[in-house]
Amino acid sequence: MNAPDMRGNGRSHAALVVGAGIAGIQAALDIADAGFKVYLVEKSPSIGGRMSQLDKTFPTLDCSSCILTPKMADVPRNPNINLLTCTQVKEVQGQAGGFHITLEREPRYVDESACTGCGLCADACPVSVPNTFNAGLDSHKAIYRVFPQAVPNAFKIDKRESPCKNTCPAHIPVQGYVALIAQGKFREAYQRVLEAGVPFVGTLGRVCYHPCESECKRADWDEAVSICALKRFAYDAGTDHTKPEPAPVKYAERVAVIGAGPAGLTTAYNLTLRGYKVTVFDALPAPGGMLAAGIPEYRLPRTVLSDEIEYITALGVELKMSTPIGRDGGPTLDDLRKEYQAVFMAIGAHGSSRLGVPGEDMPGVYQAVPFLRHLNIGHEAAIGKKVAVIGGGNSAIDAARCALRLGAEVQLVYRRSRTEMPAAAWEVASAEEEGVKLTFLSAPTKVLEKDGRVTGIECIRMELGEPDSSGRRRPVPIPGSEYVLDVDTVIAAIGQNVESTGMGVETKWDRLVVDPLTLETSVKGVFAGGDAVIGPASVVEAVGAGIQAAESIHRYLRGMDLREGRTQTHPNAKDIKVVPASPVKRAPRERMQELSAVDRINGFKEVELGLTQEQAIAEAQRCLECAVCSECMQCVDACQRGAIQHDDKARHMEVDVETVIVATGFDVFDPHRKPEFGYGQYPQIITSLEFERLASASGPTAGKILINGQMPKKVVFIQCVGSRDKSISLGRDDDTLHPYCSRVCCMAVAKQAHLAHDRLPGAAITVFYMDVRAFGKGFEEFYDRVRKEGITYRRGNPSEIIRRGYKVVVRAEDTLIGEQVEVEADLVVLAVGMQPRADMEILSRTLNLSRSEDGFFLESHPKLRTVESSVPGIYLAGCCQGPKDIPDTVAHAKAAASAAMIMLNRSLATSIAGEGADYAAN
Amino acid sequence: MLQIESRQFAKEQGLFACVQCGKCTGGCPMAMKTKLNPRDLIYRLLIAGNGFNLEGREELWDCTTCSTCYSRCPKQVNPMEAIIAMRSAFVEKGRVHPNVKTALESIFRQGNPLKMSRSDRANWTKGMQIKSIAEQGAEYLFYVGCTPSYDPRGQKVARSMVQVMNAAGVDFGILGNDENCCASEARRLGELGLFEGMVEMNEEIFKDLEITKLFTISPHCFNTFKNDYPKVGEQPKRPMQVQHYTQMLSGLVKEQRLKFYGEFAKKVTYHDPCYLGKHNGIFDEPRNVLKSIPGLELIEMDRSREKSLCCEGGGGRMWLEGTNPGTRLAQLRVQEALETGAEILATACPFCLSTLDEAVKHLNAEEKIRVLDIAEIAVQAL
Repeated sequence: MNAPDMRGNGRSHAALVVGAGIAGIQAALDIADAGFKVYLVEKSPSIGGRMSQLDKTFPTLDCSSCILTPKMADVPRNPNINLLTCTQVKEVQGQAGGFHITLEREPRYVDESACTGCGLCADACPVSVPNTFNAGLDSHKAIYRVFPQAVPNAFKIDKRESPCKNTCPAHIPVQGYVALIAQGKFREAYQRVLEAGVPFVGTLGRVCYHPCESECKRADWDEAVSICALKRFAYDAGTDHTKPEPAPVKYAERVAVIGAGPAGLTTAYNLTLRGYKVTVFDALPAPGGMLAAGIPEYRLPRTVLSDEIEYITALGVELKMSTPIGRDGGPTLDDLRKEYQAVFMAIGAHGSSRLGVPGEDMPGVYQAVPFLRHLNIGHEAAIGKKVAVIGGGNSAIDAARCALRLGAEVQLVYRRSRTEMPAAAWEVASAEEEGVKLTFLSAPTKVLEKDGRVTGIECIRMELGEPDSSGRRRPVPIPGSEYVLDVDTVIAAIGQNVESTGMGVETKWDRLVVDPLTLETSVKGVFAGGDAVIGPASVVEAVGAGIQAAESIHRYLRGMDLREGRTQTHPNAKDIKVVPASPVKRAPRERMQELSAVDRINGFKEVELGLTQEQAIAEAQRCLECAVCSECMQCVDACQRGAIQHDDKARHMEVDVETVIVATGFDVFDPHRKPEFGYGQYPQIITSLEFERLASASGPTAGKILINGQMPKKVVFIQCVGSRDKSISLGRDDDTLHPYCSRVCCMAVAKQAHLAHDRLPGAAITVFYMDVRAFGKGFEEFYDRVRKEGITYRRGNPSEIIRRGYKVVVRAEDTLIGEQVEVEADLVVLAVGMQPRADMEILSRTLNLSRSEDGFFLESHPKLRTVESSVPGIYLAGCCQGPKDIPDTVAHAKAAASAAMIMLNRSLATSIAGEGADYAAN
Repeated sequence: MLQIESRQFAKEQGLFACVQCGKCTGGCPMAMKTKLNPRDLIYRLLIAGNGFNLEGREELWDCTTCSTCYSRCPKQVNPMEAIIAMRSAFVEKGRVHPNVKTALESIFRQGNPLKMSRSDRANWTKGMQIKSIAEQGAEYLFYVGCTPSYDPRGQKVARSMVQVMNAAGVDFGILGNDENCCASEARRLGELGLFEGMVEMNEEIFKDLEITKLFTISPHCFNTFKNDYPKVGEQPKRPMQVQHYTQMLSGLVKEQRLKFYGEFAKKVTYHDPCYLGKHNGIFDEPRNVLKSIPGLELIEMDRSREKSLCCEGGGGRMWLEGTNPGTRLAQLRVQEALETGAEILATACPFCLSTLDEAVKHLNAEEKIRVLDIAEIAVQAL
């Protein structure tokens, strides 16, 4: 039908239809065909609703898709219909004849107009999720189309939150590179980390303390994914060590970075890629900061570090080494600010806390940081044969393990107990394995000397008292418990501090003070981050600060708002729910080979040997893909139309309409709420909706009814699951289930029993029923036909399903013979009832609609006004008002459309006549 | 003739709501082996006109009051309560099994159904330091119950309970020889008069000692204090917090007031007692306690939680063989436990403990599986 355009006085006369199942589609088409404008709003990515999930319709056995898809196709063709998918109603103002509606469009992440539905993106996507359209019976990719006949014919990306990325101080897209490793795309995995602004892939893969792994959801099944080892693998297997071309300089402004550690170099890397010229100053002769000066070579081979630093310098970052700022004759901050338009201070925490005991300044007593620095940079450290290391942090462990490698006997002295040690537990274990002796609850009181040489250290025993401000129990000396350790060298590793004097920015204690979100200091255009701000911390926190600083400096130099759209809060890992695409098979994490303790202490060779390729792939496949889309960007590469928009954002839209039709449909009852039926426990038990997908030619099995890959021989259907049911619900919040009859299940079961009979030749089919309600046109005749096909109807509502061997047994009473019966089955179909949509409460508040006791929307009169809602101008269509079959739904939708058109026509008439509006209540 | 006024009875019991779906009988564990058919019983009563003859309906004494029928009914009809009410008609005429008569008399005279002396009730405490709530006061009353007070096996549970609660630092006391039967079983046997008398007596004691919180070993005592007592006598009642000990332990573990330092490295399966599970929806707490014990591997039987099979020890069946004394359900249950490969069959009810223990012996399975109360496992892991 040609759609005439009826507009009066240039004003558009429009209706809003909420929900695009068969009811919403029918109502929208009718109103549009009458010449009015329709906004058809659908929450999901495609129209079609529940009917598109059905195989056949009763009693005529028409193919559901065959009669629905032509109607779906009419929607985008109709010029009067504005179809808005992924969209929900947020707010409604006004009244009948003049509603002002705010809509919210969820990001699709795919440009609907550019997408041709070719599916190359999904082929490239490494992530699978349960396919809810197929009732979870198979899976689709993170970029997906609901079903092949979807309207609009466009893909969508499913994006959620992942605890690993949220926890990572640098927000590295963990799931992305892990998914790529799982696919054997090692180079892409390495690139993915680089693209996230992180130039230290191989370094972090070796030294990161990986807080991500503590939050990994996989641990709820067995063990966390070995994320850190996988990052290392991404570098080891993904880089070919070629260096990039210099990045083009786009902007005139120049940036100075003070400190060539992980924070400073990360900022320089990111700003250079954005088109700035960056110069990095450092007091030390070699770049890398603590990575070079603090971390021993057996944990981080220098070839890896220098490779990654060379990558950064190849991009065009200029390094000025041996150039201290603000001391030793170097330039001051003010000097830099004259020449550079922005400065990032990442000076680290290279100072040392003093022991505070007599004799600490003698030769033979070292501080861990300079000791490690000398060793790491200069390769010269004159220590004795017997070394005492004081402290329990990572530096203490590093110093101890280095001293061991220099041939000394090493004793580590810590004033608290093992559980309070701040060092990583696995580092402590390695040190012990290599032969470091640990002495707990002891503290030095003085260094002993003879002839200016260390001869020993006097210690005192401690006991643990009340917890202090750090939450750890405070060590208290035990008087008179002094004893002497016979050593010739002492290495103090009790704390690091920031050498911030003379820097020219505000400090608190020794640390630089910044805005935690933007990293701005007290001086305009000067930013700071890393250890210098938060105290001695970790490489990944420094890298995270570097990324944030680059963002801030870019915004600052471009005159943009520094805060907009940035946040430090992310959903708590505990609140993130994961639904794995397939059952999780328990598998422990892959472990790296390590050098034996004997081989380790003979030199500074790397201890951990990395995962093998097979191990890495197996380990990566353990990822549960919490965020669904891993942001691996493979779809972007695959799409030839440039339709993928990973940065798509939610949008608001406002429309003015005269009238609204609500056609939001229903949910199916969740049979987990009837635990006696063992749904989810036994694979043989499925819902009637799952049966529809199994029977459908376009379903996951192409229409074959298979359970565990086999055609079932004994099939049982159970009616009234969750309907006509007021049973008490043990130990749950909800007291009752659904007292009402869902109206369609009796006939749906008859139809499904017929399909089972048709597709499973020779199968014994039993239907358990309480009553059979065959009340519609042709229904009783269909019920007669099905029985005559040889389906056994037994009167009795089953009580429970239990397992017996490989089969399940349905236990019931056949009430016509008055005996308890047990019927074996290899497929049980639960005819689950209809229930109000889960989000009905929100919609009812938004639209101010009343609901009846059963939870569905309330009509104005149960007999005479079944399409009118409790709000004038808002009409109800289909199952949102109560359970209905398809013919009743279509009739109801047409009635709602008719009521809406009366409203629209009245408004049209008044506006044509130029009279004041008089929108009497419908 | 043992007639009841059937229309009045059906009204009082809400039986007109019945749609004859058969879910009650379909799930009834006794319908598997005896003539008991709750749906049929209701139907016959509904069509009986004004008088329903109970004569010869011996199967009424088969019911274990496991509540499967009520928990499955889509219309909230309670066949179990109707059966108990029918039993009352027998009791009123004094027509009960001699064992039942003895048990009821013993409750009346000695405050326990076990024919034991009132003055021996606290014998299980010998050698233990336990507060008397009457003399020293305490936050919680530890209501021990009859079986744990007298039965040697039950006593082990009671003693374990004291150790576990002490380890968690719970301030509790007992009534000692002044403790009385809770009379849950009298009520289930249809002796309502005796039950109400015992309620009055026990509530008097609780009131005098100002007891506001109590925990029990037996789910039967727990259920009756929690659900039956509030309905008897004058309203409103004194507020009383009633907990089963597994609820207490689960809470203590969660708050880290109770920590298990020891190992219990065994495969354990847990049998849900009906009066904890099907009657009160307490499924997770006992499992939480077991899961918090180091080394313990919890495996589930097919029939667990809402589907748990009754051990056939409730509803007075501790004193009645029933009309089909053949294979007891407890034996089926032990077989189900054996199929899981578990070494320990854990439960949290003195009746279940006793019936399951008996069944293990009957099946000669002592080498393969042991029946233990959760308290007995907990004490080994302190």
